[in-house]
Amino acid sequence: MLRQWRQVLGLATRDYFHEWQISVCFVLALAAVLGPMMVLFGLKFGIVGSMIDELREDPAKREIRPVGSDRYDRAWIDALAKRDDVAFVVPRVRSIAATLEVSSDRAPRILSLEVIPSAEGDPLLPPGTGIPRGLREVVLSASAARKLQVSVGDGIDGSLVRRFQGRKERVHLPLTVVGVAPARAFPRDALFASVALNEALEDFRDGHAVPALEWSGTPPGKRYYTGFRLYARSIYDVAGLEEGFERSGIEVRTQAADIETVQRMDRTLSAIYWAIALIGLAGFSLSLGASLWANVDRKRRDLSVLRLVGFRTGDIVWFPLVQSLYTAVLGWALAVAIYRAAAWGINLMLAPQLEAAQQVCRLLPQHYLVALGLTLGASVLAALLAGLRAARVEPSEGLREV
Amino acid sequence: MVKEQAQQAAQSPAERPIYHLKDVVKTRASEGYSFRLRVPSLRITPGEKIALIGESGCGKSTLLDMLAFVLQPSSCDTFEFEAEGRSHDIAKAWKRRRQNRLAALRRRHLGYVMQTGGLLPYLSVRDNINLSRRILGMKEDGTVEALAKELGLHRHLHKLPGELSTGERQRVAIGRALAHRPAIVIADEPTASVDPFAAEKIMALFMQMVEERNITVIVASHAWRHIKQLGLRRLAHHTRRSKDGRMAETVVSG
Ligand SMILES: Nc1ncnc2c1ncn2[C@@H]1O[C@H](COP(=O)(O)OP(=O)(O)OP(=O)(O)O)[C@@H](O)[C@H]1O
Ligand SMILES: [Mg+2]
Repeated sequence: MLRQWRQVLGLATRDYFHEWQISVCFVLALAAVLGPMMVLFGLKFGIVGSMIDELREDPAKREIRPVGSDRYDRAWIDALAKRDDVAFVVPRVRSIAATLEVSSDRAPRILSLEVIPSAEGDPLLPPGTGIPRGLREVVLSASAARKLQVSVGDGIDGSLVRRFQGRKERVHLPLTVVGVAPARAFPRDALFASVALNEALEDFRDGHAVPALEWSGTPPGKRYYTGFRLYARSIYDVAGLEEGFERSGIEVRTQAADIETVQRMDRTLSAIYWAIALIGLAGFSLSLGASLWANVDRKRRDLSVLRLVGFRTGDIVWFPLVQSLYTAVLGWALAVAIYRAAAWGINLMLAPQLEAAQQVCRLLPQHYLVALGLTLGASVLAALLAGLRAARVEPSEGLREV
Repeated sequence: MVKEQAQQAAQSPAERPIYHLKDVVKTRASEGYSFRLRVPSLRITPGEKIALIGESGCGKSTLLDMLAFVLQPSSCDTFEFEAEGRSHDIAKAWKRRRQNRLAALRRRHLGYVMQTGGLLPYLSVRDNINLSRRILGMKEDGTVEALAKELGLHRHLHKLPGELSTGERQRVAIGRALAHRPAIVIADEPTASVDPFAAEKIMALFMQMVEERNITVIVASHAWRHIKQLGLRRLAHHTRRSKDGRMAETVVSG
């Protein structure tokens, strides 16, 4: 039983390679339809995919900024932080209070830096960058670090002045640089500091005492913040959060419009792609099915000879099946080669417009497998139908065919 | 019925027929024309050399195809095939669509030489001849080479059929029909497509080879003259046509 089956496989293989010209035509015909379809899908996947990645990776797209200033207390901020759709939130102090003059031993200039409240999980400080804790640690933006010619571990001197009880008062604050934020995250000169340090700067400027830094002044009252830094968990949460703030009367600015544009583009491109893909798939199945069907018809006489010699009907069906599997696998491999060449060309052509590691034409390994699965499915179906038809006719019919 | 069976059992095995057909009919119709082949009774005993002679279109191929189990009779009373001491009911096998049983009988007991073609274009001469052996799992024992030598094909063993003359191809087909030592060889005008001189030589060689191997043989041909010299039994048949020529019936018996 198995012997006959194996022999049919062997015969089918020999026939396939004996008729290599025709086999090559079948393979080419298949690859000519499948290859462009893969390029099309690669483009759709690559373009939309990289746009979405860009959105997802750029924390600025998830930021929600209050417009103007208001009065928020700590409890309100803490409640925000507990929400599921909020990834990160810290309170901001008055922006005139949130500056610091900074100098280092190595640079002659004194920089006046914007102080940004930060904490564990700050999206602008990627993993691996230090987090400013307490009143002595800071993270500098890349440009600030460059201008001060300092790097991680160096000490810098911060100073600030206030007019208190009629006279000008300046204090100095030695600080340690625990990290440098990448330029991509924050392009301007800035200094990331803990919320506590931000509060201390504000207190000092308001004439309050900061015992921890031995700065004297009046005792502080209840604290209110004028704003906050908030990042949504994902770009898809931005629109919802924005709506919530607007409803409670807080005007905010977001990139929701950008996000919406990309999402709409994704939907439109997907719809266009699927329309083309469905038409292509239909054409592909039809052309593959028709050519395999025609091939089995052409083989009727040879198949009848095999039956005359005494091969069992069930084994005969394997003959066209094996041949169409060869066509499917070789055609798919050629289509993959066509796709790879086209994708390489397209990506190379557009490389100057792209960031590193970004690709316009891109497929994941599972996409190749899906293409292979579809091809195998369509060819097995066509070959099986044609093979069964060939097996159903009486052997003598096929033998006497002219 | 009972009496008949008892009579058959009393016969010596050698005399029991390989083929036993009774009232077998095949009707073929196309575009208003119909052809009917009727076999009221046919018995072929082991070792017999049968010739089926008749004009073109009289139904020779039709009968041979039925005897080779590749064409289903339209109706039949009895169609039995005897091999290795066992009787096989072909009529029942067709009715029950036991294609694989018929295929098994074909590969074990039959060799078939077709009018033309019948070789696989992608196999060498050696593999074409060997096909009937390989399907039975027979070992390489020099049979193919010996046959090729006898048939004058030993120089061509590695060629593909496309590189052979028509007569050489027919000899390859004969080789394949004999290679697995079948009990019966059926040949449908094996020499129709070669010139008369070559035909005579091939036919004589073929008959000599089956004689040596003690194989039952059934040959169809339209030339009686050189068949007669080979000592074959001719099946009696006659063909009748209706007046308008729309119907033809051939009755074969023997
Ligand atoms: N598939 C078919 N369908 C309908 N009629 C057929 C078919 N095959 C053969 N016939 C008819 O059956 C008759 C007998 O055909 P068959 O092939 O048995 O003749 P033959 O004696 O072998 O002739 P030849 O010597 O030319 O080979 C012919 O009249 C033919 O027209
Ligand atoms: Mg004929």
